[in-house]
Amino acid sequence: MLSALNLISQNLDAYLVLSGILFAIGTFGFLARRNAISMLMSIELMLNAVNLAFISFGAFSYNGDARHAAQASTIALIVIASAAAEATVGLAIVIAIYRNKKTPLVDEYDAMSQ
Amino acid sequence: MPYDTLIALIPLLPILGFAFTALFGRRLQLRLGRAAAEIVPVGIVIAVWVIAMIVVVPALQHQAPFGTEGLDVKSWTWIPAGGLSVDMGFHVDALTACLLIVVTTIGMLVHIYSIGYMAHDKATWRFFAYLNLFMVSMLVLVLADNWLLVFAGWELVGLSSYSLIGFWYERRSAALAAKKAFIVNRVGDVGFALGIMAIFLNTGTLNIQASLKMLVDQGSSNTVPLTVVALLVFAGAMGKSAQFPLHVWLPDAMEGPTPVSALIHAATMVNAGVYLVARANPLFASAQDAMVVVAAIGIFTAFMAATIAFTQTDIKRVLAFSTLSQLGYMFAALGVGAFSAAIFHLMSHGFFKGLLFLDSGSVIHSVHDEQDMNRMGGLWRKIPITHATMLVGTIAIAGIPPLAGFFSKDEILGEAFKNGFTWVWGIGVVVAVMTAFYMWRLMGKTFYGESRVDPAVAPKVHESAWQMTLPLVLLAIPSIFLGMAIGLPLGNGLLVQWLSPVFEHAEQILARPAAAETLLGLPTDVVLISISVIAALAGLIVGLYLFGWGSRKVKQQTVDAVSSANGTSRFLYRLSLNKWWFDELNDLLFIRIGGRVAAFLWWFDRTIVDGTVNGVGYAVRDAGNGLRQIQTGRVQNYALGIAIGLIVMAGSFLLIVGQPR
Repeated sequence: MLSALNLISQNLDAYLVLSGILFAIGTFGFLARRNAISMLMSIELMLNAVNLAFISFGAFSYNGDARHAAQASTIALIVIASAAAEATVGLAIVIAIYRNKKTPLVDEYDAMSQ
Repeated sequence: MPYDTLIALIPLLPILGFAFTALFGRRLQLRLGRAAAEIVPVGIVIAVWVIAMIVVVPALQHQAPFGTEGLDVKSWTWIPAGGLSVDMGFHVDALTACLLIVVTTIGMLVHIYSIGYMAHDKATWRFFAYLNLFMVSMLVLVLADNWLLVFAGWELVGLSSYSLIGFWYERRSAALAAKKAFIVNRVGDVGFALGIMAIFLNTGTLNIQASLKMLVDQGSSNTVPLTVVALLVFAGAMGKSAQFPLHVWLPDAMEGPTPVSALIHAATMVNAGVYLVARANPLFASAQDAMVVVAAIGIFTAFMAATIAFTQTDIKRVLAFSTLSQLGYMFAALGVGAFSAAIFHLMSHGFFKGLLFLDSGSVIHSVHDEQDMNRMGGLWRKIPITHATMLVGTIAIAGIPPLAGFFSKDEILGEAFKNGFTWVWGIGVVVAVMTAFYMWRLMGKTFYGESRVDPAVAPKVHESAWQMTLPLVLLAIPSIFLGMAIGLPLGNGLLVQWLSPVFEHAEQILARPAAAETLLGLPTDVVLISISVIAALAGLIVGLYLFGWGSRKVKQQTVDAVSSANGTSRFLYRLSLNKWWFDELNDLLFIRIGGRVAAFLWWFDRTIVDGTVNGVGYAVRDAGNGLRQIQTGRVQNYALGIAIGLIVMAGSFLLIVGQPR
């Protein structure tokens, strides 16, 4: 169990790089994918990349104060909760538009220009 | 009835007459005939004349309640607006009374004359409605006790004159003449309006008597210098009284019916300017420079108009230029400080020129609407009453004693000489010769010599109806006796005594030294009068010699020989015939050059001013159109914008604020 822990990198940069890569993938997915569902998934990816960054900062800046350690986790939990809510609403909108447009492809959705 | 009521009735009655005739005149004329439409306006003017005479008699003699100061009648506060309070009020003193005599008497006679003159017109009722409106305007102008009310009357006079000149509006020339009169008058009116504003600025009141007193008392501490105020007021007077260079409208105004010419363009409206300057006499007396301008413009107009009258062949135009010339005399009198003499000439001129115009109307009527004097001649046997009365008018205007014109003209010339304006006097004497000459030319061409009337018309020439000849006879009476009645003894006649309280203030300011009693060893007055009489007789003799009895052919040869003797006389002849080319000059200055300037300004307005305003609009619209293109409505395009923005922000933060540690 501890050896497994030892396999985990003790270097903050590694986590942040991973977080940045995940965020970039999410961004690329959001901008490039035409499917609305895929775009929602990309958003989740970006949110989780940010969560990873928060948690990493929280873990590496631990100074023995329990309340301080809890702050990063709290933000992450809030992000997760709001991500869930956002996903619900987003899916509902997508389904509503899909019923009108009969397509999941977002480049067909241009109602905002009117 | 108390005088307050009577005075208020003077302008009120014609207003009612105008309203009644304008509203019901047409129906009355169609159903019951001309007389029904005429009875109200004519009756009202006669009533006004009676009332005016009741008011005038005590006012002239300074009896209670008029006194020397005049009677103020306040009806109600017209415009209460904070610091500006204007009363609807009238002021009657001796000056007003003199004008009332002229306006109501000639107005009444012209109304009666018009019954005959307009007997063949379709819309007599309209003519009489306008005439009554004109009476209202003129009476308000004369009676008003504040500048604003004077201005209202002033503009109303312009309006009713416009309607009357253009009465035969189917004729293009009449419509154009009306427009010309209106526009030229507006030029002067701008000056008058500015003058009134300057007076209000200086004194804070619009009451004529109060403001004049304050203006003089404040002297050089006025905000607007008195010379400027006086010249602005005079600009208004120049427009109404047709003084150079605003004289061009009056000859053209002869397009109107002849009674209009007599009433408006000889006896009343054109006198408004003279009245205005006389009313503002303390102001002008305190601004000596302005008075010299008044005298110069007056005497120049007198001379110029007299030269033009030499060669005109339209009988009414000769009289129109003669009116200009006589008005010039009046302004010259005002300019030299002879206010009483100016009003004297105003009155006598009002009567004899009104008479001459009505006579010319009678002549025109009798030869079936022919106005060209070359197609008249030898009429004196056929229309004896017209001839006799016109002879009276001509002698009067020519300044031959003892008729009215002699006294007033001589008083002007004498005062000019005694007050040191010898140049005004000199030109005035020359103009007197010229006046006598062109008036006798008019008489000769119209009444004497061989008949050149159209042979088809000649047997039908007849004397006019009694409605027309009665006013002629009635006007001939004052033309003969007015001068003797109020001008004797010379220099201190009845009129001078009447008017002395009005002009007392100005006389004090001017404080002229007494003139020398003798000249060339004789009493000054005798010398001056002799010169005037000789001048008048010289003009008479030349005029009668060239245009009187005898063979027309021989006479015409003499005239042609004189007018085409050499280059100079040919030029002078053309100068006179073409009225000094003033119409052409105005055409060049205001139609051609002014039109170009206006066209340029229009272009500037359209292109630059409107272009700027519209350009801003177009730019915003086009910018919006351009920006609209990036609003695709697609989520991913917006998201790309957000991403790029984020990268730019983060990147610039890192670059500018600092490197990551």
